[in-house]
Amino acid sequence: MSSENAAADEEAADITRSGNSFLGDLWVNFVRWNIKAVRNPFVLVVSLVQPIIFLVLFTQVFGQVAAGAVNQGAADISYETYLVPAICMQVALAAAATSGVGLVNDIENGMFEKVLVSPMNRTAVFLGKTAAEVVRIAAQILIIIGLGVLLGAEVETGVVGALGIVGVGILFSFWFIALSNTLAVITKDQESTIIGANLLQFPLLFVSTAFLPLAVLPGWIQIVARFNPVTYGVDAARAIMLGRDVMTVIEVTAFGGIYDTLAPAVAVLLALALGFGSVAVYMLQRASSANVQ
Amino acid sequence: MATGEPSGTVLSLAPLPSSVTDDAIAAEGVELTYADGTQAVRGIDLTVPRGEFFGFLGPNGAGKTTTIKTLVTLLRPTAGSITVNGFDAVTEGRAVRETVGYMAQETSIDPELTARENLRFACDSYGVPRSERADRIDELLDLVDLADVADKRADDFSGGMKKRLDAATALVHRPPLVFLDEPTTGLDPKARNRLWEYFRRINERGTTIFLTTQYLEEADALCERLAVILDGEIVSAGSPAELKREVGGEILEVNVEGDDPARAEAAEIARSVELFEPGATVEVTENGISVTSERARSKGTDLLVALRDADIPVTGFNVRAPTLDDVFLAITGEHVDTDEGAAPVDAVAADGGDHA
Repeated sequence: MSSENAAADEEAADITRSGNSFLGDLWVNFVRWNIKAVRNPFVLVVSLVQPIIFLVLFTQVFGQVAAGAVNQGAADISYETYLVPAICMQVALAAAATSGVGLVNDIENGMFEKVLVSPMNRTAVFLGKTAAEVVRIAAQILIIIGLGVLLGAEVETGVVGALGIVGVGILFSFWFIALSNTLAVITKDQESTIIGANLLQFPLLFVSTAFLPLAVLPGWIQIVARFNPVTYGVDAARAIMLGRDVMTVIEVTAFGGIYDTLAPAVAVLLALALGFGSVAVYMLQRASSANVQ
Repeated sequence: MATGEPSGTVLSLAPLPSSVTDDAIAAEGVELTYADGTQAVRGIDLTVPRGEFFGFLGPNGAGKTTTIKTLVTLLRPTAGSITVNGFDAVTEGRAVRETVGYMAQETSIDPELTARENLRFACDSYGVPRSERADRIDELLDLVDLADVADKRADDFSGGMKKRLDAATALVHRPPLVFLDEPTTGLDPKARNRLWEYFRRINERGTTIFLTTQYLEEADALCERLAVILDGEIVSAGSPAELKREVGGEILEVNVEGDDPARAEAAEIARSVELFEPGATVEVTENGISVTSERARSKGTDLLVALRDADIPVTGFNVRAPTLDDVFLAITGEHVDTDEGAAPVDAVAADGGDHA
């Protein structure tokens, strides 16, 4: 009898453990969102098309003029080389903008609630989804770098540098992923989420150092560009691409070379990710407790 | 099946903590007020013994879904205590989530995934051991008759197929207690019957079921015991038979040609012929009269004969089982509309101008 009870207790312990671990929960969601991404090649392709058009048209149409503005008597950099880091950030921005759409879909088809009523760790659920988006962003940035090289761009820091640019792109995407999900939770509407994020994309890109150096931009744009996250993402990626300090918004000389750009840029991007991330987490927590309707 | 498990244990009870009492659900004084001040649930006491098929009956907006979401930890009660499978729903939320299955009112599946992938995700969500996963998925696909389309994407499924898949995903971890929130709303009768059959099967295997519905016939067909909720409060509880007894039997509706006096005379005859038991009620309706009686069926023709003898022209008649509205009418004395909300408005209008 007592051994039976012990067995029952053991089984009881089993069900409270349920075999879930944080990493396991993360993995399960990572897999689900990757399957969904592969099932929807349309989204993958569309978020690449616009940046590729930008890359090709800008270099062909503005290449001659822009190269002069970019070089300003200094070393001879092709506009292709100058532009590729910016297009990499554009890709990150475009992919991040669709993150909230996935969340809205989940809310609409009941999967959001289904996940909430399961014993999965809610943070792991969200991180798994984000990880799948990050993988997509990494793949897309690599495609852009490859295409850029084919068009004549040069990555001064080589393969390691290319991977570094991918890393910057991922770090840069976090604040916009967070913003997109915040929009999703607030609007609970696909169109509003995608339009909201898309409306922001182009002004953000143009009012930054993406296409031209800070020095040749008009005065008011220079001021706005200093507060634009895109400037920090592009400058960090560009420093790696060109193999030298390119940042003029925050002058740092303590680290030497590209690290004079990377250190302040990464610090700003981390702060942005934390700031916007906290808001998104707060909004998600609120949505997942009292207001599940 | 492939593991050689006896088929009787396909959906057997999951092991529960030894602290568990005989009750799957024990709730006391549960209240829930939304942020906007809406009091959706106002002090509900509920006890559901293990193994019971329990029905929670009420019209739209009565608080059924809010109650169920509170029991499965999606909502935090404003007041009161809830114990589910022996765990406190507020302080041991995760343990509650591990030991219950929940099928939401809206079909909840990922349409971009196949049926099998949806079930696999559910298995992984609930930590079903990898070694058992494939077998369990096959069993459930068989059980809900989706084995043929297991590898098709769910957005190609019909409404009924989606519902069945949704129900299967709620059972992957073999929960001892399953919550079904209006599982058949919007389904055609054939799909509804199929789901009923399926719910009966899992209940027969020992699973406690908590089902909400706005259809009395559904509660009647499935549930051993019912609670009726109205405006966030339980207004009545008992077996389906007991509830119907509160209504006082079946309803005989007789259409009478002519104006008010003709209908009043018909009602007078129905009351005086002593065909029906003393508790029976007779009402004048828009088209004639309505008799609620245990003998509505057996004595109906006698009433028709009596009306003919009195030269009251009968244009039609109908004997029907009591509906949810009849139950509410018996319990609260008020009509409750189960669908659009038009009836209560009419009722107010008919009362005259007292209401501001």
